[in-house]
Amino acid sequence: MTSFYGASARNEATLEVRQILEGLAPGEGDLLEALHRVQHRYGYIPQAAIPGVAQHLRLPESRVYGAVTYYSEFRQTPPPETKISWCSGPACYIKGSENLRLVLEGLLACGMGENTPDNRLGLHLGQCNGTCDNAPQVWVDGEVVGPLTPSKTVELVRRLQAGDQP
Amino acid sequence: MPTYAELEAQAAPAKRRIEARDRPRLAVGIDTSSIAVGALKTLDALRALVASRGLDADVVQTGGNGLSFANPQVEVGRAGGSRILYQHVDAEDVPDFLESVLVRGEQTNRWLLGALGGSPASGVARMDDHAWWSVQERRLMSEMGLIDPESIDDALATGAYAGLERSLVMTQEDVIAEVTGSKLGGRSGGFFPTGRKWDFLRTSPTTPKTMVCNADEGDPGAWVNRMTMEDDPHALIEGMLIGAWAAGAATGYIYVREEYPLAFERVVKAVEQAYERGLLGKDILGHDFSFEMKVVRGAGSYVCGEESGLIASIEDARGMPKIRPPYPAASGVFGQGSNVNNVGSYHCAAWIMRHGVEKYADVGTERNPGTMLFSLSGHVQRAGCFEFAFGVTVGQAYEICGGGAPVGHTFKALQPGGPLLGVLPEFALDLAIEPEAFREKGAVGLGGGGFVFLDDTACVIDLCAQFEWFLEDESCGRCTTCHGGTQRMVEIIRRIQRGGGRESDIGKFRLIADTLKYSNCFHGQFAPSIIVNTMTWFAAELEEHIFSRHCRAGVCKGLTRYEAGRDKATRAEYAEAYARAAETCLTLAMRRAAGDAVEGQEPCLECVVCAELLPQAVHVVDAFEQGDPAPELISIQPAYE
Ligand SMILES: Cc1cc2nc3c(=O)[nH]c(=O)nc-3n(C[C@H](O)[C@H](O)[C@H](O)COP(=O)(O)O)c2cc1C
Ligand code: FES
Repeated sequence: MTSFYGASARNEATLEVRQILEGLAPGEGDLLEALHRVQHRYGYIPQAAIPGVAQHLRLPESRVYGAVTYYSEFRQTPPPETKISWCSGPACYIKGSENLRLVLEGLLACGMGENTPDNRLGLHLGQCNGTCDNAPQVWVDGEVVGPLTPSKTVELVRRLQAGDQP
Repeated sequence: MPTYAELEAQAAPAKRRIEARDRPRLAVGIDTSSIAVGALKTLDALRALVASRGLDADVVQTGGNGLSFANPQVEVGRAGGSRILYQHVDAEDVPDFLESVLVRGEQTNRWLLGALGGSPASGVARMDDHAWWSVQERRLMSEMGLIDPESIDDALATGAYAGLERSLVMTQEDVIAEVTGSKLGGRSGGFFPTGRKWDFLRTSPTTPKTMVCNADEGDPGAWVNRMTMEDDPHALIEGMLIGAWAAGAATGYIYVREEYPLAFERVVKAVEQAYERGLLGKDILGHDFSFEMKVVRGAGSYVCGEESGLIASIEDARGMPKIRPPYPAASGVFGQGSNVNNVGSYHCAAWIMRHGVEKYADVGTERNPGTMLFSLSGHVQRAGCFEFAFGVTVGQAYEICGGGAPVGHTFKALQPGGPLLGVLPEFALDLAIEPEAFREKGAVGLGGGGFVFLDDTACVIDLCAQFEWFLEDESCGRCTTCHGGTQRMVEIIRRIQRGGGRESDIGKFRLIADTLKYSNCFHGQFAPSIIVNTMTWFAAELEEHIFSRHCRAGVCKGLTRYEAGRDKATRAEYAEAYARAAETCLTLAMRRAAGDAVEGQEPCLECVVCAELLPQAVHVVDAFEQGDPAPELISIQPAYE
């Protein structure tokens, strides 16, 4: 994996990652926590951070990479400025969340897990968190917006595109 | 280390505050459900106004009480034990609300929900007057909404850790005998006897031993574990400590799913506070018992809720389930003998040891004493989390607590316990809430507490597509039967939903369902449940989709088309709605329908905004006429990747 980023970038990243991971130790089940910290720091898990995590926890890089790709909440690309999470749960689904998804993807011209080209808005596939009384809903940077209809979703996206509050 | 009596004494000021002995107490229930509808803003507004007006009252946060439909709620407590709940108190209402309850000292106003205790003034409804309240047996939830989940003193003031204190002077065998005697069954939905599980670990030759709490609550539509973690987290820690004492464990892990940030935060805080008070660590409560606890945050994976996947996830790995045996009691986290229980199982165990097994068995049925939390959602009038004694029927839960179907609609199906547990038709309403009652009728099970209700606007085939997609997406990928089988299911259902159903599809479903049984873990083994249920109980609807290419609910996108009336009279009558729909529609389709001469062909996005804005003139029609050829190329691409 060195070729891609070059040795110096890799060393720099490794140094910073070391700092983030202070207090975590090999063999204690700290990999998830390590990845959470990296994602907290960068907003995603840059590929250049993987060797640092692997070294710190004395795990093969493949193991770290395997965990990054296994869990749906770890991103490998930078997050958008404003993240719209669409709830894929059943209460939202039977109340028409599929229609909301079509509006979101249609207006933003990107799919789930992708961002608009300017990175301002992005879509995320969310799981039910038990706020189903607001179904169907989305979370804008973690805040529930619902119950929504297709037209309210159009208005929501237009507001966000204009830089306004949800 | 402080003794239990010392801790109780320390909590005396908290007790005075909870009981509003010195001044009125305004408590706002704060949890994920109430924050979603602005409860934090209500709390801030109350705090600011009480301070600026110099009113003599405590304004505090408490946990939520499960009544999502009534949020944001404020409870007003007064000396003498009066506790009155008010509903839908939004931030803008705060000035008028305070004027009413504090300045004028009124009990009744437009926000009144009901009195919980004391002797309310005449004309004030009691919570018990509401059938949706009195049909519940609120025990595990009795502190939810009363105490601040971020304050261990509040918990101690209302009896937390009394069950631990009682257990620590009992022998391990006696504690296990009491929990076994309660017939407590695992609340993940497996209902495996918790006492027996603890005994497996106690008698396992391994040492040291580990207690694990499964707080992954992956089943969408269920948030009962979240209630315990967000609204009464010390009950969970207490239950784990009791189990650890009984089974001889020295370390513990609580594995909380990523999607529950507030639950994670509150559990972490509760663990920290428990350490500060000597309820975790060495020589707990002055007894010869030590226990270390760690809280682990998941990262979004359904199969990590399966116990061997969960254990793998704690151990620095991808959370792929393993073939058992060995069971966790023989080899669990880092090879140590382990016990994995759901949050609700520990919560119940704490209740049993606090109040005793006789009291526990006061309610419920002979084979299932006690209570369980259920979250009701979907097509109901009141969504929320409720606590029922076993034996109450699903119909009572649905009609009385849920308020039944939305006006003008009728019950169609129940989806209990998440994507692996299928879907049940009308008879579901007659079932007693007991795992046996569900299984006797051929259902997979009762599940872990999530009930999603469907009315006649929902399409069961469409739900099959959604659940099979979910199960495909969440398959760990170890067995081909599971990842290949679920993928094949999704492809076939999506083809049917696009009008390409074939006579052979039913046979294919059966073949795949039979094959999936040979998967390693329950994820694959139960993945076909919803399809198998649909073939049994919704056969007519499925056949309509395959043979008549008709979706009776008008939901499946490929089988329905939306047609806007184009005649002049209709356009003139609803001109405004036409204009709005044309403006909002993301393609040119509605502008054309509204009469604009527009160039170009853009496919309709099927988002149905037109039907929402122009219900008078937009109608659902079948996309296929009898005898139309099957569409040539059917996209079965996964929609979300
Ligand atoms: C795919 C899959 C997902 C599961 N998810 C959960 C879960 O989110 N929470 C849970 O408590 N149990 C879940 N289980 C059940 C656990 O494997 C295990 O049986 C349970 O934690 C035992 O707890 P109990 O005995 O207290 O019920 C899941 C099982 C499977 C097969
Ligand atoms: S289904 Fe969307 S919040 Fe529960």
